[in-house]
Amino acid sequence: MTDTNKDLSPYVTLVSADGFEFHVRRSAACVSGTIRRMLDVQNNFSEAQSGICHLENLSGIVLEKVVEYFYYNEKHRDSTGVTDMDIPADLCLELLMAADYLDT
Amino acid sequence: MIGAGRGRGRIRAPRRLTMNLPLRQAFTKDEVDFEQTWEVLHKAFREIHARNASNLSFEELFRNAYKLVLKKKGDFLFEKVKQLEIDVLDNNVRTQVRRLATPTILITDTNDSSSIERRAAGEKFMLQLTKSFQEHATEAGMITDVLMYMDRISTSEGRKTSVYTVALALFRERVLQATANDELAVTILELLEHIILETIALERSGEMVDRPLIKASCRMLENLYESLNEQESTRLYLTSFEPKFLDASREYYRNEGKMLVQEADATTFCSTARRRLKEEEDRCQQSLSTNTEPKIKSVVEQELVSAHITDVINLPGTGVKNMLDNDKMEDLQNMYELVKRVDSRLKPLRDAVHKRILELGNEINTSANQIATEPPSKARQEKKDTESKGKDKPAPAKQLSQQTVAAINWVEEVLKLKTKYDKISERAFRSDNVMEKALEVSFQDFINENSRSPEFLSLFLDQYLKSSGKDKSEAEVDTLLDNGVTLVQYLADKDVLETYYHKHMAKRLLMGKSISRDVERQMLVKMKMRLGNQFTSKMEGLLRDVELSENLTNGYREHMTKLGEGVTHKIDFEPSILTTTVWPITIPESDRACIFPKEVELVKESFEKYYLSKHTGRKLTWLPHMGDVTMRATYEKGAKPITYEISGPTYCMVILMLFNEHERLTFSEIQQLTNIPPDKVTQTLLSIAVAPKTRLLKKEPMSRDINPTDVFSYNEKFEHSFRKFKVALVSEQSNKVETAEQRKETQKKADDERGLAIDAAVVRIMKARKTLTHQQLMTETIDIMKSRFHPDVAMIKRKIESLIEREYLERGADSANPSYNYLA
Repeated sequence: MTDTNKDLSPYVTLVSADGFEFHVRRSAACVSGTIRRMLDVQNNFSEAQSGICHLENLSGIVLEKVVEYFYYNEKHRDSTGVTDMDIPADLCLELLMAADYLDT
Repeated sequence: MIGAGRGRGRIRAPRRLTMNLPLRQAFTKDEVDFEQTWEVLHKAFREIHARNASNLSFEELFRNAYKLVLKKKGDFLFEKVKQLEIDVLDNNVRTQVRRLATPTILITDTNDSSSIERRAAGEKFMLQLTKSFQEHATEAGMITDVLMYMDRISTSEGRKTSVYTVALALFRERVLQATANDELAVTILELLEHIILETIALERSGEMVDRPLIKASCRMLENLYESLNEQESTRLYLTSFEPKFLDASREYYRNEGKMLVQEADATTFCSTARRRLKEEEDRCQQSLSTNTEPKIKSVVEQELVSAHITDVINLPGTGVKNMLDNDKMEDLQNMYELVKRVDSRLKPLRDAVHKRILELGNEINTSANQIATEPPSKARQEKKDTESKGKDKPAPAKQLSQQTVAAINWVEEVLKLKTKYDKISERAFRSDNVMEKALEVSFQDFINENSRSPEFLSLFLDQYLKSSGKDKSEAEVDTLLDNGVTLVQYLADKDVLETYYHKHMAKRLLMGKSISRDVERQMLVKMKMRLGNQFTSKMEGLLRDVELSENLTNGYREHMTKLGEGVTHKIDFEPSILTTTVWPITIPESDRACIFPKEVELVKESFEKYYLSKHTGRKLTWLPHMGDVTMRATYEKGAKPITYEISGPTYCMVILMLFNEHERLTFSEIQQLTNIPPDKVTQTLLSIAVAPKTRLLKKEPMSRDINPTDVFSYNEKFEHSFRKFKVALVSEQSNKVETAEQRKETQKKADDERGLAIDAAVVRIMKARKTLTHQQLMTETIDIMKSRFHPDVAMIKRKIESLIEREYLERGADSANPSYNYLA
């Protein structure tokens, strides 16, 4: 992806609105178009410098599920016939909105 | 917070927001104030343009933009951003660029002092412009990233283009297409193009220029489009710069081409042209765009190559002719590559080469024919020349007549020429098919120009197939023969060669002069491979006959030994039994009636008996004029007798044997006693009674001519420095060059055979096709005959005429469109 620079840490921190921190592999986090742009070294926003993304729109519960999806997506990227991920019904709406926001 | 109206002029947006709000299910429950949010974004974008993004949180900006879009404020946001961009471009970027757009750049006079200054100013300008563009592109990219959500929604709603596209288009509009300077009526774009062209012109004249800078400028132009939908064809590079570049180049190369043709030689021209092409290629790769490469190349090809190549090829002194003559491989290769570019069929080069080969070939032809007709002394002189070059065999050369010399010279010259051009073709023309074909045609043309080439070729082959060519190694002879056969392929009149070769080969075999039968056979295989079965069938017949006759002779000898007839031991008899139809020997009636001496007659009869017992019903005809005899003669010289071994033609033996019984004989007596035709008697007597070294008979009166009244007697005082010697027939050529008359005869024979071949071909074609138009029949006939000779159209017509007379064919009913029907 964009992390062509070898000095970049392979992990980034995603912070939810209520303060939960998730250390996520950079490649997984970049499944999200939004986060990818956020971390783009060329654009060099503050997130790219610090490696910490505060996601003010997302609660910890949602973000956890999102991160789970990131890894799930990355793992099955090139395979076909993958079973759907287990999504609790009460999170559905919020996850949908998060997906819209994160461009995943 | 709605419609808080911060005192800004344009507050319509908030009102719209109010109207839309109830319809919208918001992501967050917070109300969004457009002005406020925009303010945040606005500030941030300014920061971005100031290259100060590291303090900004992408997430925050993104979230803000996201909210605005969710509130259906996307369109407003878009407009705002656009305005911001315009503002930034107008006020910051354009002013920066304009500051460097000094009028000096545009001054076009080539005053040296100002040109350096101008160049520096130009480079500075270009640098600033490309830098501005790159920065702008990066910034636009960042803003686009922040506004990603807006773009996503807007494109899914089928709205306009992305922020990035718009930002780049704005750059074109606000910066490039703005006037460069208040005093100047040119746009920045025009100025830039002017600078690039100027720089390229400088580079063409050999100066070092900043290629990466040009490359950056071009990349900028490539990334900008005339329209918002970013079609490939509307790239600024293609629409604006490239045509100008090509025009300028065309102008440049047109001038250079004119100058080169006037001032330089062909070599320089070719190398310059190739260098230019290479340069343009490099330039396209390193400074411009690779897409331009084929276009600029075609410009160079047109202006520099196509326009002048024919002139250059024909440049006196330095053109292709000179290159060919001096084996200038590199130049020729340059030339070839150039011509190849503009004309895949290589016409100009082909013509030039063709012309030169024809010239050289005709020179060879004339010189050969000159040697053939020159007086012998001169020919011998020529001979010496070639000897000193190590081209020919020294010793047997004396026996060669000037005809053979001419033939061998001719073939060797042709071969030399061919080797030379083969080498050129391989090294300079990369064995190009078209060129090889052209060479072939050229050789064919001049070889067939010389009507005697079939004879010459055959003589040449004959020379090396004869055992006399001893000083050459087998391999050398082999190559020579190979080359000879290659030339044979070029001949149009292969049937004439066939006749000659047949004749020469027959003589070789009969006289036992052939190197070996294996070589002969190999030669035939070679010819067969290149020329086909039909060509060699007669020759194979010769070889077969010779072998059969050998077997027969051996059989006869065994037979005689068994019989134990004493007389045969004295005479070692070696007949050649030949099939009349296979051998190209005409048998004059007069030669058959020779009266042999008793001893010989006996052998002859016994052989006839033997042969007829083996093959009943056949007829043997004796050809004494073809034979050879070796005899022993003993002379009393004082105390001890000297025995000579004399070899010579059969007639020589027949006449000499007469003097075993007679003391003196007149010419007419000799003729009567032997029944040899008078001209042959004269010839034989000339060699045994007049020729100084072999004066076996005394002649009265001692004159140089033989008259019917002359009287001959045994010369008891005969002496010779060798014990073994040969009586050579005076006036008969030891080699087989034809006299003019014989040549005419051969030609006639060939013509007759051609007639028959055409007859056969026409009948065959018509039998298969039943009806054909005249034109079709002609083409088909020529097609069939082509492998053997080039038929004369008139001859075919004559033949068709005669076939109609003989009722093989009839004319078609339609006289306007002549055709023929086959009559079974």
